[in-house]
Amino acid sequence: MFVAQENGSDSGNAVNFHLRLDAESVEHAFPSDPLAVDPKTSVREVLALLKDSQTGHVVVAESGEIQGIFTERDALKLMAEGADFQVPVADVMSPDPVTLRNQDTVGQAIQIMARGGYRRIPILDDTAKLQGVLKSSGILHYLVQHFPAVIYNLPPHPHHNTQEREGA
Amino acid sequence: MIICPDCNCENIEGSDECEQCGQSLTSLHLTDPATEIERSLLDDRVSVLNPKLPVAVSPQTPVGEVLQKLVAQSIGCVIVVEGGELVGIFSERDALQKLNVDVDELRERPVSEYMTEDAQTLVADSKVAFAVHRMDLGNYRHVPIVDDQGRPVGIVSVRDILRYLAEKMGATAS
Repeated sequence: MFVAQENGSDSGNAVNFHLRLDAESVEHAFPSDPLAVDPKTSVREVLALLKDSQTGHVVVAESGEIQGIFTERDALKLMAEGADFQVPVADVMSPDPVTLRNQDTVGQAIQIMARGGYRRIPILDDTAKLQGVLKSSGILHYLVQHFPAVIYNLPPHPHHNTQEREGA
Repeated sequence: MIICPDCNCENIEGSDECEQCGQSLTSLHLTDPATEIERSLLDDRVSVLNPKLPVAVSPQTPVGEVLQKLVAQSIGCVIVVEGGELVGIFSERDALQKLNVDVDELRERPVSEYMTEDAQTLVADSKVAFAVHRMDLGNYRHVPIVDDQGRPVGIVSVRDILRYLAEKMGATAS
């Protein structure tokens, strides 16, 4: 998981202030363990699984090979139209999703997410095996971990303007 | 001269806190942002993300109708407003986690039963970095923007943040 850099963020000190989006791999952006289901799994079972695991997506894979991804967006469409939940997830998943390699950088991942409007991208290892899923929330967490503490303690608005400098 | 990161007040070199708003300035003596992206996150305010106008529904709206609205308008959440005031937010995550396979029996129920109350909000001149922190802490994907009367005027999503970062990186590369 997260490996502390030489300018690691643990001290909460502003000296440790480096976003290395073009150098650090997606493995630093807190990928989650993949939750995978077989293509024949029913939508009903998948929805229950998403609820139980408090997550918003499953990867659909057969013998280790990714077939698609099913996200809460797909679920929303089915729920809105009152679809039949007995159909296999393979019929309603988003097939052939964009994937990342584990050596791709956080910066590349941000570009891909922004361009495609994706919030979750499966990460494959060197042998094309599913290794994890990069989420937009992981990227936000990465930013927060690599930023100085000062910015997070900004006072609530509206400002409690004390006094004018003049005449103080 | 030290510029306060929050209110932009100019403070005397060596000040420990901003004389206008009380923000701690001690860490600012130590370093300068190393990259353009860092500087942007610290300088820019959420208004640069061009927050979209939120889609609002009343608390009595049937939740089934809200689901259709989310799909038809390609949005991830609606805000729930009563008498001009924000009373909650209902997102696709709420739909999945709270309605799930029982959706057919629940369609006519009011959205107020399933919304998330006490949504965290930001004002338009909050720093982008502050918005990022808010979203990370609460694991939110949407944060409503309110005016100084607390009325909802916009909504910022994690997608807006990603797009902003991508643009900043593109600008740095070229």
